[in-house]
Amino acid sequence: MAEEIRKILEQLLNSISGLYCILISDRDGVPIIMVQNDKAPELAMKPAFLSTFGLAIDRGSKLGLGKPKTLICSYSQYQVIQMNKLPLIVTFIASDCCNTGYILCLETQLEPILSNLTLVVTET
Amino acid sequence: MEKHIERVMDDIISSPNVFGCVFVDHQGLCLGVKGDASNESAGIIGAIADQAAKLEPQSQPPIIVMEDDTKSCIIHRNGTVTGAIYKTN
Repeated sequence: MAEEIRKILEQLLNSISGLYCILISDRDGVPIIMVQNDKAPELAMKPAFLSTFGLAIDRGSKLGLGKPKTLICSYSQYQVIQMNKLPLIVTFIASDCCNTGYILCLETQLEPILSNLTLVVTET
Repeated sequence: MEKHIERVMDDIISSPNVFGCVFVDHQGLCLGVKGDASNESAGIIGAIADQAAKLEPQSQPPIIVMEDDTKSCIIHRNGTVTGAIYKTN
């Protein structure tokens, strides 16, 4: 199953120019599956960075607007888009000029993969 | 700003045969949507305009028309804003 998922993710990665990495991790930021190219920044793929999303959505939910679904962080050279699919976190790392809206569209395409992975994570 | 874009979209949607429109910024994020159109298509519309512009990089941004038997979608980029208009043939 892992190979199939990796293949699908690689296809998605190659379909968007400027997208460097797609990473699916658990709520602690531990990577479950990851596809990347050589431009992906190492630091943004570490659990220390990924797990801050969990804290951010906890804080964000206190704004009274419901649970955050997506977090977009725009940096000078990169943008990091994280989706709340708890118990999973989906992270996209892309260049700053990459089409953010197009990456957000991938959510529906990832849904079948995520439902499979969620089953695995909740069982373990 | 919203009022201005709302007015533009109202003008567009009141044109004959037009049933929807979407406006997208340079990052593919939805600026506004009116009628029978989805804000989820914003990113794809931006990407289509980007890819089509790469065919002739020296020229002005192209007008892209996609049509089927009954409907058509017209996409055009002007500066940082891309607009898509859906209309019946």
